[in-house]
Amino acid sequence: MDAILQTLIQGILLGGFYAVMVLGFSVIWGVMGVINLAHGEYLMVGAYMAWALSNAFGMDPFVSLVVIIPVMFVVGYVIQLVLINRIVERPHLMALLVTFGLGIAIANVVKLLYTADPKYINISYGGATEIAGLTFPVVKSLIFIASLIIMSALALFLKRSRLGKSIRAAAQNKNAARIVGIEINQVYAITAGICIALTAAAGAMISLTVPVFPFMGPPFTLKAFTITALGGLGRIPGALIGGLVLGITEVMLARFVPGIGTNIGIAASFVLLVVVLIVRPQGILQGLRPMDEVD
Amino acid sequence: MALLRKRVEKFAQGWFAFALWILFIIALYVFPYSGFITEKNELMGTLQTLSQLFVLITLASNWNLIGGMTGYVDFGHAVFFGIGAYVLGVLVTTSGGALWFAPALPFWVALPFAGLAAALFALLIGMPTLRLRGPYFSIAMLGVFVAMREIIRVWKPLTGGGAGLTLPPQNALFGFPQDWFRMGEYLVMVGLMGIAVGLSWWIRRSEFGQTLLAIREDEVGAEMRGINTTYHKIAIFMVASFLTGLVGAFWAWQNTFIDPDVVFFETRTIEMVMMSMLGGLGTVWGPPLGATVLYFLQDLIWANMGDVHLLVLGTSMILLVLFLPEGILGSLSDRSGTSFGGLFSSSKRTEREAAPQEKSVIEKSSGGV
Amino acid sequence: MSTKPLLEGRQVSKYFGGLAAVNKVDFAVYPGEIVGLVGPNGSGKTTLFDCLSRVQQIDEGEVFLNGENITTSKPHQVAHLGLARTFQVIRVYRKMTVLENMLISRQWRGEGIFSLLKPSAKATEDRARYLIDFLLLGPLIDEQAGNLSGGQRRLLEIGMALMPDPDILLLDEATSGINPTLIETIKDRIVTLNKDEGKTFLLVEHNINFISDLCSRVYVLNYGEKLAEGTPDEIKANNEVIEAYFGAEGE
Repeated sequence: MDAILQTLIQGILLGGFYAVMVLGFSVIWGVMGVINLAHGEYLMVGAYMAWALSNAFGMDPFVSLVVIIPVMFVVGYVIQLVLINRIVERPHLMALLVTFGLGIAIANVVKLLYTADPKYINISYGGATEIAGLTFPVVKSLIFIASLIIMSALALFLKRSRLGKSIRAAAQNKNAARIVGIEINQVYAITAGICIALTAAAGAMISLTVPVFPFMGPPFTLKAFTITALGGLGRIPGALIGGLVLGITEVMLARFVPGIGTNIGIAASFVLLVVVLIVRPQGILQGLRPMDEVD
Repeated sequence: MALLRKRVEKFAQGWFAFALWILFIIALYVFPYSGFITEKNELMGTLQTLSQLFVLITLASNWNLIGGMTGYVDFGHAVFFGIGAYVLGVLVTTSGGALWFAPALPFWVALPFAGLAAALFALLIGMPTLRLRGPYFSIAMLGVFVAMREIIRVWKPLTGGGAGLTLPPQNALFGFPQDWFRMGEYLVMVGLMGIAVGLSWWIRRSEFGQTLLAIREDEVGAEMRGINTTYHKIAIFMVASFLTGLVGAFWAWQNTFIDPDVVFFETRTIEMVMMSMLGGLGTVWGPPLGATVLYFLQDLIWANMGDVHLLVLGTSMILLVLFLPEGILGSLSDRSGTSFGGLFSSSKRTEREAAPQEKSVIEKSSGGV
Repeated sequence: MSTKPLLEGRQVSKYFGGLAAVNKVDFAVYPGEIVGLVGPNGSGKTTLFDCLSRVQQIDEGEVFLNGENITTSKPHQVAHLGLARTFQVIRVYRKMTVLENMLISRQWRGEGIFSLLKPSAKATEDRARYLIDFLLLGPLIDEQAGNLSGGQRRLLEIGMALMPDPDILLLDEATSGINPTLIETIKDRIVTLNKDEGKTFLLVEHNINFISDLCSRVYVLNYGEKLAEGTPDEIKANNEVIEAYFGAEGE
């Protein structure tokens, strides 16, 4: 029983992280209808930035978020303006191929710069604390908390701020939004900037727990897709639930199925993904926007 | 201009082009004996280079069957390559584990099994995935690919896991002496390529090919006109994967060592997509052309710029999609054959936006993506 | 009029989320009839068509074609049983010529994967040419479908639907956006097909004149439910129908 509870906690912590990891992907898809296959690569870039800052200045990854987020916002903004805006209103296949190619290009640029050798971040804190008789790994708990903060901030932003409302308007009806005077290209660029900054932030956080190497991206992209399929497009609660489901499933599998490495998380994601896509394309929560509305 | 394009299209589908292909294959078979290159090492080297090119051509052509002609852009097609490779690998080695009771099979016996295994897997995985619309299918297949790689890695007793599988050294095929083994491989690959592209041509001009085209252009309309789209999609999926499995098996044999990462290599699918796109999605001769261009381009880049070729690949993909989506042949012919009509048409998207009621959530909706 | 309906729906219902797009609709179309299906926008006409042609799942109720229960059939199966359908948004293959469009719409009946290279059989091509002429598209036979006018494409789509020689045609807003001359042509062709070949029609329409001229009976849908049924005159005089159509085209 205790083992199950512990595993559950691990799963929840992982799930919380997944939720924030997915947001960038999900919102880009929900707002622009673009499935960003370079998602994992942006995460990887964030991880590298955290490592580089830690390596050069001894900066703690959580602290480096202050640098990473603005920088990646600009990067995302520019990429969107220059490249992705061209394919937003085109068929999905183009977006898939372009972002696919972009992902490969980014991964290989990083490889050229830093070689394919995995990098690790050294931190002074670690281990676990005990609360109420349950063990909480320190780093992962911090990540979880940071994730929740980020998610809440995003939710507030989207709901309350004018920009957030423009984004939501653009997501629901491009043409109506245009008519009301919303400059769609700008909105997209800003959205992309936010999303990519978010993703990089997730990458920075994950660098604390996994080795950082140029080709670490694709599993995250795939998981992002699964979670979005589970939770629905552009929905923060959906991302949270989807992330939790995946996180818990992954951890449970790793713990209780003998002989399976953590890599099986990918296989699990995929099976989950196909099942969801077949059975309920709208995601598992009721009342979500159906995915095909974005076409 | 339109008339010229029509002529190109008709030529491509006609008997004359096919005859040229047969002649080409025959020429390839004659080539090693022609005395053109007499120095043995040089000959073996050339044959090996050509074999690699033929592998690419065959893969591109196979992928095109499902991706180009039917419009189901398979982002995970390399999974069938991997399955073919591993099935062959397991069958030809006396690996313990699950197949301890079976002796190691000779190459020729194991080869068809490899293909069949890939086809069966296609059947299994195609049933759920082919129901998904455009991008969802693409990504689901990507997921299949990644999942399969990990499953193979985890299935140590059977596959040797991450450590890989070593195949017996190639007993030269066709009774060639050991140091002529490249010859045997070359002959096999010429045959495989000949069959794959020939089959592609045959399908394209048959009624079956017409069905695929109809499915690609407008799946709901096709269903409405009496086409059992599920049957046709699965059928072509199995054909394409069977052939790809054969190539994978051959590749494993040639390499004598396989492991999950080398066999389930993401880049392979990207290459397949790019080659077909470059040449002209959905055309018969486009993918081979694209494969050839890509091969020489990669060779060039390797020679001069070393390690950046993946970077160039990724960038080229972007440029290709933005500026030359029809590919080379596609731009030359009348476009009815290429996917420009179906997969890239922006008019399709706005049309679909105008008729939201027509979409059924689960079934694949109006053609293309 | 024989007593057995060609196409019959009993309590047909289709839900999207909590909303009933089609709500327990009963109807019947008898062989040789031309029946109309009208209703304000959003009343569920196209959704009903989608259900009948099996493009959409039917949540409740049943549909029978020639006595056979097709409620869970697939679209290609009902096509084989003699039902054809056109769509609101015209579905023709724009990059192909008129003739090619017709040829690709021939009757498909379970070719195996190894159907050998059979460029279209002579009989099919004859029929295609005949129908092209019948629909007055003769001069355009080698023209790319994308170059045709909206009305001509509409006629082409009808032609494509006719290729497999269906017993019943479901035409979804065949006259929308078409100029009056072509509307007359469409009307005329429908009448000919009905009288000479006994084809049955179920028409979704907004054009009330079109319906009045052609249909012997009309069903009216509103909010997914059957509001009324009767002859065109009866429908036009029905107060509830008039109310439902508040603001729609007069007459």
